[in-house]
This record gives sequence, C-alpha cells and structure tokens, in this order.
Amino acid sequence: MIQKKICMVGLFGTGKTCLVQQYVHSIFSTKYHSTVGVKIDRKVVQVDGASVTMVLWDLAGRDAEQDISVSYLRGAHGIIYVVDGTRRESFDQAFELRELAQATVGEVPSVVALNKTDLKDQWILGPLDDSAMAAHPWHRLRTSAKTGEGVEAAFTWLAQHTLNTERKQP
Amino acid sequence: MQNDRVSPQPIVRVAEEPEAKTGELSELREILVGSERRQLEALRQRLDSLALDPEELAEHLPEAIALRAGRDRQLARALAPTIETAITESVRRNPQDIATAIFPVLGPAIRKAIAETMAGLINSINRAIEHSLSPRGIRWRIEAWRTGIPYAQIVIKHALIYRVEQVFLIHAETGLVLGHAAAPNLAVTDADLISGMLTAIQDFVGDSFQQEEGGKLRTFSVGELTVLVEPGPQAVIAAVVRGQAPESLLRKLQDTLETLHFQFAGPLAAFDGNATPFEAFRPMLEDCLETVLTTDDRGRASRTTHWRAWAVALALLTIVLAVLALRAQRQWDDALARLRTEPGIVLVRADRAGARWRFAGLKDPLAPDPSSALAQLNGDSTRVEARWEPYLSLDPKLVVERARRALTAPPTVALDLRGDSLIARGSASMPWVARVGALSVFPPGVSHFDVSGVEAVLPTEFAALKATVETDRVLFDAGSATPTPTTRGLLVRVAGAFGRLHNGTGEMGYRVELAIVGRTDPTGSDATNKALSQQRADVIRATLISLGVPAAVATATGIGTTSPLALPNPAEAARINRSVSFLVHLRPVTNPRKQGGSE
Repeated sequence: MIQKKICMVGLFGTGKTCLVQQYVHSIFSTKYHSTVGVKIDRKVVQVDGASVTMVLWDLAGRDAEQDISVSYLRGAHGIIYVVDGTRRESFDQAFELRELAQATVGEVPSVVALNKTDLKDQWILGPLDDSAMAAHPWHRLRTSAKTGEGVEAAFTWLAQHTLNTERKQP
Repeated sequence: MQNDRVSPQPIVRVAEEPEAKTGELSELREILVGSERRQLEALRQRLDSLALDPEELAEHLPEAIALRAGRDRQLARALAPTIETAITESVRRNPQDIATAIFPVLGPAIRKAIAETMAGLINSINRAIEHSLSPRGIRWRIEAWRTGIPYAQIVIKHALIYRVEQVFLIHAETGLVLGHAAAPNLAVTDADLISGMLTAIQDFVGDSFQQEEGGKLRTFSVGELTVLVEPGPQAVIAAVVRGQAPESLLRKLQDTLETLHFQFAGPLAAFDGNATPFEAFRPMLEDCLETVLTTDDRGRASRTTHWRAWAVALALLTIVLAVLALRAQRQWDDALARLRTEPGIVLVRADRAGARWRFAGLKDPLAPDPSSALAQLNGDSTRVEARWEPYLSLDPKLVVERARRALTAPPTVALDLRGDSLIARGSASMPWVARVGALSVFPPGVSHFDVSGVEAVLPTEFAALKATVETDRVLFDAGSATPTPTTRGLLVRVAGAFGRLHNGTGEMGYRVELAIVGRTDPTGSDATNKALSQQRADVIRATLISLGVPAAVATATGIGTTSPLALPNPAEAARINRSVSFLVHLRPVTNPRKQGGSE
C-alpha cells in the first residue's frame, strides 16, 4: 500500500474545500476547519497500474490574522497551493505559503491550482503573473470547483511526481 | 600479557631510524620516555584495531548479556531469529539430539496443555450454562433477540472489562498509517483518515498548549471508548479501548512500539509512503487486540451470590417461622375469644403447649359444642382437648332457648326475655295458648310469662262454626222489632252452631261469648233508632236463650245507626241495616296464678 501525504493550502475563500469536495472520500465534516484547523480526506489515484492513496490534508484557509499551522505541513509529500484567480492577494499569499512550506518540508512536488477559472470576466491574472510563477518549480493548473476542470489532473500529476521524486529534506 | 604481545613493534620501529645522529637522540629518548612511548604505542595499536578481541569478548560477554537482559528485551529480540535458525538447523541435521534434550520437558508440557485445555473447556461449559440458564443470560438472550445483535456481542458488552478494538500504527511525521488491526466483526475502512486526523489532533493539542517537544496527547475518552496514544520517535501507536483499560495495556503498547523501532529501524527511516514492509509487523499489532471479560469478578460474584443465597434463605426461613408463630398465636387468640364470647360456656382454664390446646370449664347443655370450631381453628382435632362440666346458664339467649323447648313453642311464636319476663308474640293454636296460659311453673330464668301478644288460632271446625254464626243476619221490616216468621230457622241454626262452639272451646280452657248487635236504617231520630235497635237485639237474645244459648254468655246491644253496615246502594244499605247480627268473642279462662304474679 502506497500512501502520500498531500497538503492543500491557500488564502481563506479561495475555494480549496469546494474544489476537491466531489473528488475525495471524506468522513469528517467541514467544521474541523474552524476547530482543529485541518480536515483529512482521501483520494485514490491509479498511476501506471499501481494505486496511490493520497491522504489529503485540507488546511484551514489562511487569513490576515491567522497563519496556517506549520505542524500540519510536516512530512508532506506534495502540496497543492490554491489561488483564487479573481483575487490578487490570494496570488501573492501563494508565494509566502510556498516559502513557509519549503522551510518545513523542503522542495516537494507542488501544484498551483489557479481556481475559479469559470469566472472569466473577473479573472485578474495576466502574463506577468505567469512568468512570476514560472520562477518556481511548481506545476500550474487552471481549476474550477464549478466545472471540476483540472482537479483530477492535479491529483494525477502529484501522484506521479511524489512517486518518482526523492524527497529532499530542508 | 598484552604488553608482551605488543612490545616488540616499537623496538623494531626505533631500530628503523635511518640516520646515525638521530640514533643517539633516539637512545636518549628511549632512556627518558621509553616506557611511556611504548605504552602510548600500545594504546594506539588498540585504537587502530578497534574490533573486539575474542579473548576480551569472552571475558566480558556473559556479564554484558546479563547486564543488557536486565535492562530491556532488546537482546532477546535480537537473538531470537538466530536462535530460531540455529534450532531449525539443528533439527534438520540431527533431530534425535533435540528430541533427547527436550524429552524431559515434553511430557509435563503436554500434560499441562491438556489440563489447561480441559479446564478451559469446563470453564466455557460452565459459562455457557450460566449464561443460558441464569436470569441474566435469559435477559441477554432477550436483548439479543430484540436488538438483532448477536448474542456473543451482547455477552461481551455486559461482561466486558475492556476490549482493545483497534490498534493503529502511525508514522509520526506524516500521519500516514503503517499498520492497522481491528477486532473481528468490527468493520473499519478509514484507518488512513483516522490516523491522519489523530496525528492532526496530536499536533493541534501540542501547538495549542505550547507543550515542549515530546509533550503529546496520551489518552482521551469518547463515550465508552478510550484512546491510548503512545508516541515514539518515528511512529505512534494508538489503541481504541472499550471499557477500563488497565496499566498493563499501556506497557504492552510501549513494548510493541519499542519492538517496532528496533526491528524496523531501517524501513521507518526510509518510509516514503509505502507501508508494505510493515505488513510483517501486523501479528504484533493483532497481539494487542485483547478482550478481557469479567472472569475473575465472576468468581468473586459467585461467592457473593452464595453468601447472598444463604442470607436470603435464612431470612426466608425466619420470615416463615415468624409467620407460622404469628398464625398459631392468632389461632389461639381466636379460639380463646370464641370460647369467651360463646353464650353458655365458662372458660376456667386454657393452656397451650406447642400446637396442643387444652381447655376446661363449664358448659350449658344447650350451648353449641365448640369442639368442631376449635378443631377447625387448630387444624387438627386430635390436638384439641376439652373438658366441660354441665351447668345452667342464665344467658338470655339460652333462657329463651330453654323456654322454647320447655313450652314446645311453635315456630310462629317469637319469644323475648325482658328482665325475667318472657314475652310471647305471634300466633299459635288455641290449645297451645290455653295450655301455656294455664301454666304456673316456668322454665329457669323466667318468672313471668306474657302470652297476651299471641293470637289464638281456632281449630278449623270451630272457625267454621264461628263463621256460620257471624255471617247470619236477622232482617226486620222498617220500624218493626218483630222478626219475620222465616227467621226462626236461621236462629235455630245460629243457636246450634254457637252451642257446639261453646262446648268445644270450654274444653280448651276458653270462654265463648255471643254479642248480639241491633241496627236500624237512618230514617227517624237517633233516640228512636237506638231504642228500636235495642228492642230488636233483645227480642233475638230472648229467642236464642229459648233455643238453648246460655244467658250468661249472650249480650244484646242496640247501636242504632252509629256503626252502619256500608253498601253503595242506599236502599239496599237501609235494608241490611234493619237487622240484628252476631259476633263471637273467645276469651281464655283467667289464670289465677298469672293474675297474682303480674301484680
């Protein structure tokens, strides 16, 4: 049995939980976010005929006052950064979160989910932002909780890369 | 010994010094610090070949083994695979040796195993019987039937001290599950999620309460469940326990965790999400799944039950005896009360010995015999003994009863005693009334006898004669006091009937009187009518006397119109009131004794 710990982080209101809700097996309610600060779900992905169990740590959204708990990031094999494509600050925060995660777990396979891609008229990210993101080795994907676009792809990408990548300690 | 072995080398080295000048220096050095150098050299030699010297090892091995074995079980764990392999190898090569070696222990071991199996079997039979036949067992069966939960689970639920339902082995850093074992019949599918959440909560608690490193959540309770968490450096073991988890369980978890760290140090360090290597550790986890039922308590409980059973039996016995004693006392009291209130019985002595009753006293012959009632109260007639001397009771009830028997009073006569006067009411035959009226001696307890309240009933033949006399009526013409000639026959008949009545009743002690009543119709004045009616009565009286009716018992009265015979038709009424009619009076012949007594 192969399992991988995947953490999902992002600014409050970027739609992390909504994004994966339909794609994961969950036994805990969303109130864990406001109490413990994390909710754990499972997603099984098939990679080259082997099944990988992704244990998804859905961390409570970061806001101005409250930081995410670093303890929850410990040992993560992969990270999903969720960015709300209609909110500038969520984009900026992704870089801060990346630094925080790197300091904790080192360079691990990561995905940036540019979420809410269905809201095209409110989309504020441009080519400049793309190049800013390209400076880091994270996989960029456009996702939508509404259409489900990009979600399976994000998990599959992470499964493949966490399987193949040797973890680098910080 | 070591020095001897090591010493030649420095000498060789010193001899190898190339230059002559330095030779002198060396010599000097040898003189000054030679022995220290050799020692240094020996030490360097030892440091270079750090590997243990077999001789030295042989020296220290037993002590080292004893030391480590006393400290923990790591040595045993380390040696176990080798010893197992060695034994396997030995058995494969020459089974006879091992067989010979273990033969002395084989017999006792087999006997012990059989004895334990038998004891277990008996124990389980006992338990099965107890569970199926005891009220508790039946209650549990009903509960199982009602709830649809298997009976075995109901038993576990009630007899459980504790049961380890699940054991999680969790990778400390990632929270990923390394292994999981659950009790049979317990479907747990989300061990990975629970492991993750458990780790998250551990982190949460650690962060929230600012515990220094190593301060972790160890135990928490959820309803009937307790979760014991034992953290290790690389892995965490968590047990979900139903019931009261003992201290020994925690030690067992610690032990299991230590074993894991020892045996799986490599896989733990290299863990990257692949839990396959830890499959081998699963039996150890399953070993932690214990179910402990109340076997010990059962013994204690059954001893207590015996105690209670005895106490209950004793209490019941006491109650039964007390009830019996009370009942006997009440029966005795009832018997005494009955004898004391019974008219005609005077209880002089009464004693009781166990169930045997003895009475002595006086009894009026007329009083009912109490022996059957007493036998009924006692329950056994042979245990009741009574001696009654006869006496005459003056209890009113018995006086009346005695008088009734003595007077042979018919049932139509009611007798009543007031003071010493016996009063009779009702009706009785004329001869009886005449006879008792003539009595001068009365039954005991009676001084006076009043029979006036008893109506004397005439014998049938006399009643007929009386009716004949009283229904005949002599009619007159208006204003006349002379009977019509046809009246003569009627008067002869009346005189005859009265004569027979007179003679017959005289024999029975009665005096019979004939009242001749004259009437008139309402015509004319009252005075005239009164006189006329008197004349009519007188005429008829005279005629009857001439026909043999004794003058002394015949009275003639004219009542005029004062008490007319009523008829609806005035003319007819007037006709029948112009008449003379008869009334017969019977009076007992006066008793001179009674008269005297009543004054």
